Amino acid sequence: MADFILSLKEIHTYIAQHHILQGVTFDVSAGQPTVLLGRNGAGKSSTLRAIIGLNPVTSGEIRFSGQTIQGRKPYEIARLGVGYVAEDRAVFYNLTVEENMRISMFEENTQALERVETVLALFPDLKRLWRCNAGLLSGGQKQMLAIGRAFVNDHRVLLIDEPSKGLAPIVVDQLGESLIQIKNHTTIILVEQNFHLASMVGTDYFILDDGRVVHQGLMQDLEDDQELKQKYLGIG
Amino acid sequence: MNYRKSRIEHPIFVLSRLMEKEYMNSEAASGELELKSGFNAKTWAIRIASVAIWFLPLIWIDPTTYIVLTTAGLAFGMLLFMVAAGMTIIFGLMDVLNMAHGALFALGAYCGGYWLLNLLEKFGWVAYGTATQSISSILLAILVGAVAGAMLGFIVERVIIRGVYGDHLKQIMITMGVLYVMTEVTKIIWGANPEVVLVPTMFQGSYDIFDVIVGKFRLAAIIVGVAMFAGIQLILMKTKLGLIVRAGVENREAVQAAGYNIGRIFTGVFTVGAALAGVGGTMWCIFQEQVYPEIGLENIIFAMIVVIIGGLGSVTGSFLGAIIVGLSFNYVSFLLPKLALGVNILIMATILLIRPWGLMGKQ
Amino acid sequence: MNNDITPVQHARLMEHQTKYTRLSFWIQAFLVVVLIVIPFMPSFRVMDMAAKIMIFTVVVASYDLILGYTGLLSFAHAMFFGIGAYSIALLCYHSGTPQWYHLILATFAALIVSMFLALVLAFFSLRTKAIFFAMLSLALADFFHILGMTWSDLTLGEDGITFSLPGIFNVKWSGVHLLGIHITPRIMTYYLILAVSVILFMGLLRFVRSPVGRVLKSIRDNEQRSTALGFKTFRYQIYSIVFGSSIASLGGILFAVWLRFVDPESALGVFSMVDYLLMVIIGGLGTLYGSIIGATFFMATQAWLPDLLKGIAALFPDYGFIHRVAERWIAFLGLMFILAIMVFPKGVVGTVRDMIARRKQE
Repeated sequence: MADFILSLKEIHTYIAQHHILQGVTFDVSAGQPTVLLGRNGAGKSSTLRAIIGLNPVTSGEIRFSGQTIQGRKPYEIARLGVGYVAEDRAVFYNLTVEENMRISMFEENTQALERVETVLALFPDLKRLWRCNAGLLSGGQKQMLAIGRAFVNDHRVLLIDEPSKGLAPIVVDQLGESLIQIKNHTTIILVEQNFHLASMVGTDYFILDDGRVVHQGLMQDLEDDQELKQKYLGIG
Repeated sequence: MNYRKSRIEHPIFVLSRLMEKEYMNSEAASGELELKSGFNAKTWAIRIASVAIWFLPLIWIDPTTYIVLTTAGLAFGMLLFMVAAGMTIIFGLMDVLNMAHGALFALGAYCGGYWLLNLLEKFGWVAYGTATQSISSILLAILVGAVAGAMLGFIVERVIIRGVYGDHLKQIMITMGVLYVMTEVTKIIWGANPEVVLVPTMFQGSYDIFDVIVGKFRLAAIIVGVAMFAGIQLILMKTKLGLIVRAGVENREAVQAAGYNIGRIFTGVFTVGAALAGVGGTMWCIFQEQVYPEIGLENIIFAMIVVIIGGLGSVTGSFLGAIIVGLSFNYVSFLLPKLALGVNILIMATILLIRPWGLMGKQ
Repeated sequence: MNNDITPVQHARLMEHQTKYTRLSFWIQAFLVVVLIVIPFMPSFRVMDMAAKIMIFTVVVASYDLILGYTGLLSFAHAMFFGIGAYSIALLCYHSGTPQWYHLILATFAALIVSMFLALVLAFFSLRTKAIFFAMLSLALADFFHILGMTWSDLTLGEDGITFSLPGIFNVKWSGVHLLGIHITPRIMTYYLILAVSVILFMGLLRFVRSPVGRVLKSIRDNEQRSTALGFKTFRYQIYSIVFGSSIASLGGILFAVWLRFVDPESALGVFSMVDYLLMVIIGGLGTLYGSIIGATFFMATQAWLPDLLKGIAALFPDYGFIHRVAERWIAFLGLMFILAIMVFPKGVVGTVRDMIARRKQE
């Protein structure tokens, strides 16, 4: 139990009368990149939003590093060390790349600036476009900026929601490479429909269906399990 | 490479930049930032037309009167900008439509323009004061107006607005109710009749430049308005707080997830917007040399038109919109007085039909 | 919402579940009888209040049609009211000795202008977002208000117009004696207002209970589903806005006829909208009958609140401030309005209907 950096127990959320998360339970070990898989509408994005506090949790418990975080405001949760890269509009289009990075930093100290250097080393394009409005970047560049934004703080957990959405396969590969670099610095929790990217990055997996965790295990085992992939992910 | 740098936007270039930005966006959509090639007839045609239209009234008005009306119109516009600036940021950031902004305007007018100046007049500072006393009076009046607006704004935000976040219809209704009540409260405190407002000596009268009569206070209003615009832009573009506000106007959730307490920022922004409205009220009633309880409602209607024309969430937009409304209102007031407001409504309706997000709003 | 019945059936079902139809019929009949008998009471004040209640019931009910049933917040209702009021005032005033046909002419003029403006507004309501539409209607209403104040040649500006009515409504008519009671022109005017109000109110009821009205309710509850079912939602919105606004201007005519005086503040003032909103919310949005309660509450408050406050102020003879507060009793109406929205948004009839629905389910 002490190893788990993030624990969810029986999380329920609602949107109006719709019961979205119907008892999500899973644990994430520190340093083990984890992937949340499942069909559209299974509740994967909602789970991430519940963790960061953007969706109110009706019942259940979320513990991060030993602290209870469900019910807290998003900014508190972020400051505790949970980073979040949203599915859509993860960057501010009307701000420049530089301003996007600046606003993401909690404090502008040496460590933060060093991490900015790391980000720029990972994504050299961002250096070239430093003073450009983020809205003018290509899809892949936007995604890199989004991840760079989340990385610039010393978050212990990074929630990333469908980063490959709308990107060309070669860009997805580049993305995967950069995520592999990042996973050494922080614990990634990745929501992905793209199975290839998911298996590049993830060690553990949880499959969600109808707002519940229905299966879990190691990514490498899932890769060979065609039946499971067909049943819950519709692929294979 | 044509990068857009983060610097203070000069209003003169804003309109042309508006056209350029559309160009940049459509090019970027194809994946690469290219050099803009050559002379583009459409952009230049729009630029020339939007400048030329302001000289149209010269057909019916002689040049001297035209210049007088233009200064008056710009002054009026600046005063509208002071209220609209706060309203537009509040709407862009908090998604709150605040009719009660008019009440803040009126309170600023009564406190700063009426009460304070009458107080200072007891020391002889205002109507027959020296230049230093005049300037001090104005500055103090602005300060008092700002503080009055800020205090009331703070209360309104905490007590009333908080309860109706997210429900536009309820917001309009409730804030309308607040405006209604505040108008009556103003009548209780200061009486229902119009009151005379004093003008400090230095700003009385006008300059006579080659037969063109330019009111001194009008110039003061323009200066204060432009200074306010510059100040707001400086804060928005150059400070971290401004950065957070700009980001929040675009995407509130992302700012929360980035670790900022958006609730406290809301209250701060609302209070500042209220202070600006208070300043606008103070300047307005000195400009008009009178004050009465209904100015809140009258002003909020103009402010709304400015905000819609300019685009919700854009300060530069309201600056432009305010100039448009101010000038057009004054020109038409001179030619066809009863229809002046009608022309502004027409402009607002046209914008709503062809470009609903305003001149500089986001789609 | 049930998925197995049509919107129209659903609306009819909801109606049955929220009413005791028999009881409400008798209550309404009783009210009408009371209204008929009122002029025979010795107090003019009561008749005055009854007439105003009837007029504002009609105006507020027509506003409920637009806000409660169609879901459109418009600040232009006071404008339509004022257009009606000014039509008859202008015609009767500028024509020297007003005749019967002036009344008819005024009604036509008011209706034509109102319908035109209503169509313009309806067009905009379909093309712009709700908040923008609200602001546009506010600006338009204030434009007419300013027009009324500044077009002094026509409207006599802020002083307003006092005018006389034709025929048996004219104060100079000597009246008849019927069954020993002196029927004055005032009383004739009262019965005119009674008759017209009842007809207009029943017209609104009919509209709301018609298929058009039920479709409106279904649009209000779930616009996407209605569009998917094939209802051309915009057409119904146009009907509702034009009908509601026209009734408002007819209400304005009645108002002018009763007071024989109009001025820009009372007939075209934008703040009257807050009064209408107060009445419609207290009564209950989306329930036409609520407007009866709202109008009665408002008129009654206007009657006793000033006296109540003056009475309280009299207890503190040394505090001028309290006296001033008592003078501006209108402020309390505004406060009631704000409280009503925050705490009591369903209004009286709305809450009653909820209670009945809950009872019937048990």
